[in-house]
Amino acid sequence: MREVAVWNTLQGFTPQLLLIAFALVLPGLDYLLKKDKRPLAWFALVPLVAIAAYIVTKLFFSSEPLSMHVGTLLTLDTFSGLFMLVFISVGIVVVLASPEFIRRDRNHGEYYALVLLALTGMSVVAESNDLIALFVGLETAGISSFALSGFRKSESRSAEAATKYFIIGGFSSALTLFAISLIYGVTGTTNIEVIGQTLQGSMDALDGSRSVVLLAVVLFIAGLGFKIALVPFHMWAPDVYEGSPTPISGLLAAASKKMGFAALFKIFLIAVIVTKTDWEVAIAALAIISMTVGNLIAISQTNIKRMLAYSSIAQAGYILIALPVGTQYGLEGGLFHILTHAFMKSGAFMVVAAMGAVAVGEKLEDFKGLSKRSPFLSFSMAIFLLSLAGIPPLAGFSSKFVLFSSAVYASASGPTWLVWLAIAGVLNSALSLYYYARVIKYMYMDPGPTDRIRVTPMIGISVALALIMVIAIGIYPQAVIDICKNAAAGAFPGLPPGVP
Amino acid sequence: MFEGIPIISIILLMPIIGSILTFSLGRRESYAKWFALSFSLAALVLSVVVALQFMVDPTSRATGYHDGRGFFNYQFYEEHVWIKALGINYIVGLDGISLPLFVLTTLLCTLSVLFSWDTKLRAKEYFGLMLVLEVGVLGVFVSLDYFLFYVFWEIVLIPMYFMIGIWGGPRKDYAAIKFFIYTHVASLAMLISIMAMFFQAHTGSFSMESIALAGSINTTLFTGGFQIAIFAALLFGFGVKMPIVPFHTWLPDAHVEAPTAGSVLLAGLLLKMGGYGLIRIAIPTLPHGAASLQILMAVIAIVSILYGAVLSLAQKDLKKMVAYSSISHMGFVLLGFATFTEIGIVAGVFQMFAHGLVTAVLFMMCGVVQHKCGTRMIPSLGGLSRKMPRASTMMTIGFLASLGLPGLVSFAAEFMVLASMFQVWALWLWLPILSVVITAGYYLWALQRTMFGPLTEQIDTTKVHDVSWYEGVPVSILLFLIAIFGVFPFLMFQFINPAAHIVFGLLGGA
Repeated sequence: MREVAVWNTLQGFTPQLLLIAFALVLPGLDYLLKKDKRPLAWFALVPLVAIAAYIVTKLFFSSEPLSMHVGTLLTLDTFSGLFMLVFISVGIVVVLASPEFIRRDRNHGEYYALVLLALTGMSVVAESNDLIALFVGLETAGISSFALSGFRKSESRSAEAATKYFIIGGFSSALTLFAISLIYGVTGTTNIEVIGQTLQGSMDALDGSRSVVLLAVVLFIAGLGFKIALVPFHMWAPDVYEGSPTPISGLLAAASKKMGFAALFKIFLIAVIVTKTDWEVAIAALAIISMTVGNLIAISQTNIKRMLAYSSIAQAGYILIALPVGTQYGLEGGLFHILTHAFMKSGAFMVVAAMGAVAVGEKLEDFKGLSKRSPFLSFSMAIFLLSLAGIPPLAGFSSKFVLFSSAVYASASGPTWLVWLAIAGVLNSALSLYYYARVIKYMYMDPGPTDRIRVTPMIGISVALALIMVIAIGIYPQAVIDICKNAAAGAFPGLPPGVP
Repeated sequence: MFEGIPIISIILLMPIIGSILTFSLGRRESYAKWFALSFSLAALVLSVVVALQFMVDPTSRATGYHDGRGFFNYQFYEEHVWIKALGINYIVGLDGISLPLFVLTTLLCTLSVLFSWDTKLRAKEYFGLMLVLEVGVLGVFVSLDYFLFYVFWEIVLIPMYFMIGIWGGPRKDYAAIKFFIYTHVASLAMLISIMAMFFQAHTGSFSMESIALAGSINTTLFTGGFQIAIFAALLFGFGVKMPIVPFHTWLPDAHVEAPTAGSVLLAGLLLKMGGYGLIRIAIPTLPHGAASLQILMAVIAIVSILYGAVLSLAQKDLKKMVAYSSISHMGFVLLGFATFTEIGIVAGVFQMFAHGLVTAVLFMMCGVVQHKCGTRMIPSLGGLSRKMPRASTMMTIGFLASLGLPGLVSFAAEFMVLASMFQVWALWLWLPILSVVITAGYYLWALQRTMFGPLTEQIDTTKVHDVSWYEGVPVSILLFLIAIFGVFPFLMFQFINPAAHIVFGLLGGA
């Protein structure tokens, strides 16, 4: 009987257990394989595909909503399930693209193990109901990512990236932990929901605690702002994305960053929601600054990975719109954009990885004439970039539509300045079109080398997966929007709906 | 006849299937033009059948749309749920305002494919993109849902960006990106306005019809300030596309660099999207905003008419001259709408149709001159009528049509616009009338310097040939239509009138 009880308690933790188990076996398996290390990738895909299939079934084809609790620490519900789906999908795309990219490197087993552990940490963050669990998740994901970005340790760029990432990551963890301890000092608990309720009651009564809570809010913004590479906490991102092995850059931009948003949403919209009027203007300003600075700097980049890094910074600015808007509809847009951004950004990085695997460089110039060298890669890249710019009928447009319209709707029924978030968002979309279109111009309009690029099947599948998702979600977003809506309504019942 | 048949979707599918097939041709690029021609021709034939059916029974109950208060004359109506959570539906239909533009689109696309018959450079992509463009433009003219409308509106940009960027002239890079970003910014202004109208209307649906009706039934929904702000944003959004002065600067660059067929589609169809948006969306949905900005619209229209004409006079490049003349002629469209009279609305729509036919001829003839003589610079040309008599005849008729010779289509349209303006602003009419003189001036002067007079010695005229068959046929078809609708303009009015009446009704007239 006791075993059954334990099993029931751990049910919501099964995906993580599965990931950890496979991660522990992988390095050992490495020794059994002589030359061809590709089976390791297939082995690492097993838990990922299993979890993805499980979550997709539960989210899209099950009548009852996902709801599993691991004590008061973790909850696997629609919200965390959606995030987990994002992480796992990016994981699948990254693992598929990796074998070809790292075929000349050593330590394949560790590589895949670290990818699985990073995903474990991210999904813990998404599931966490408790600041301590959240912090453990952040650290698990963080430490695995530091090691991954330094995977090519003999390459100075990679080592530099890892060092930089490690120092910044440690710093941001310290800030986050300090914020958690402040909150604990005021409320006496680390449970996110209880914090929210306690603060709701005590904010007016205790004048002294208010300033402590606000200090914690500032520290949270800074600590998590590093994770999601928000301006002015973004300096590390371009260097790290540039130096890391390209599939790992994809993992960092498309998944690791989303983990920061999961934490941000939980902390700001549940735990410290009562102080919303204090932070909404600041966060709105940060959102606008992030998108503008990210897009402006992206224009002058000559390295595609750095350009995509700055574009990620801008995209983080868009997603952040959901916080000051603070409605369920706004959050729906934020979640939706997190999902679509995961596919388009990981897809774009995998195209770069596919080119890197056949020793084509990472400069923008290297894209010249790509349409002749590999029609598939250039078409995919064009679709990913147009989707990032928000051109219909691609996924990025649908999610931006929900996100920006949430700001317009909220401004009509709440503070009117919120409309500036939408205006800044669309102006930035137009600005970003400039550098995205330039890559397309290089690929399709400029002459370049004419030798064909051979795309190996695994990277091909990885890019094609992302491509199919970007187009399919763009043309028929209904199913995904429903899930985002349920996730927002389920996890944040206290917020106003925000739709007419 | 089309009861139960989703005929509009079928027509939309033609270029979609055609483009997919064309792109997947692989190395057999020489088949591309045949695919493009057959699928665009299929769309043309079907759209003509649709137009004839509409002519027979413009308010058919079988395929019409019921708005709950009576029949709007949207025909061939289709409605399907698309994104339920956001209130977005796939709604398409045609009425008297969209039908002429719809048929114009299938016509010009088919003729442009034919005109580009000798395109060898990346033929597969060229013809494929042309079909994608056709999908977008057709979609814009049939969409009755804002989201769908916006999707098609943006789809149009991408093939045009590639057409300018790949097959364009020497400054194609600059022109392509300028076109792309300039018009994209305008689209985004429109997008924000759409969101705002949707929220204010509280209908829970992005259907154009329901939002316009909600606003006209409950006049407190869209307050005065809201109407002015949103109408101004829409005027910007659509005005860039038309284009209106001062948002016209992308147009000369795009036109000069675009390949001929690209210019034909750009001037013949893409500019019409702006005018169509104004009369389909901005004016009927926000009548008070429109009324408040009526004088502004009229001033912009007259400035566009005169400024475009004066700039045409100064051009040395034949194509640039035609490009600037487009600004002038599209000013008449805005002027017609700005009068807020029924006849002005009809005239504006008719002018869009007329300009689509005429400007296509002009750009095609510029293409012929460029193709045969190797240059379009007026000072290098002269006396070409001796070398290319058929081309010079066609060009002469085209120029005369564009300057408003009675009996040709533009005269009827522009005369009506001026007549409607006279009803409202009486003697201020002298301002746009001035342009008639200038227009006649630059066309006749250009004609004299290129086609007539002594044969030029600046280019090698020994190798100059007359028009090729694939150039002559499309131009002849267009000239034939220009004459037909010039002599019998009422053929078109019977389509436009009832629809204009409804728009006029929403304006508070009727």
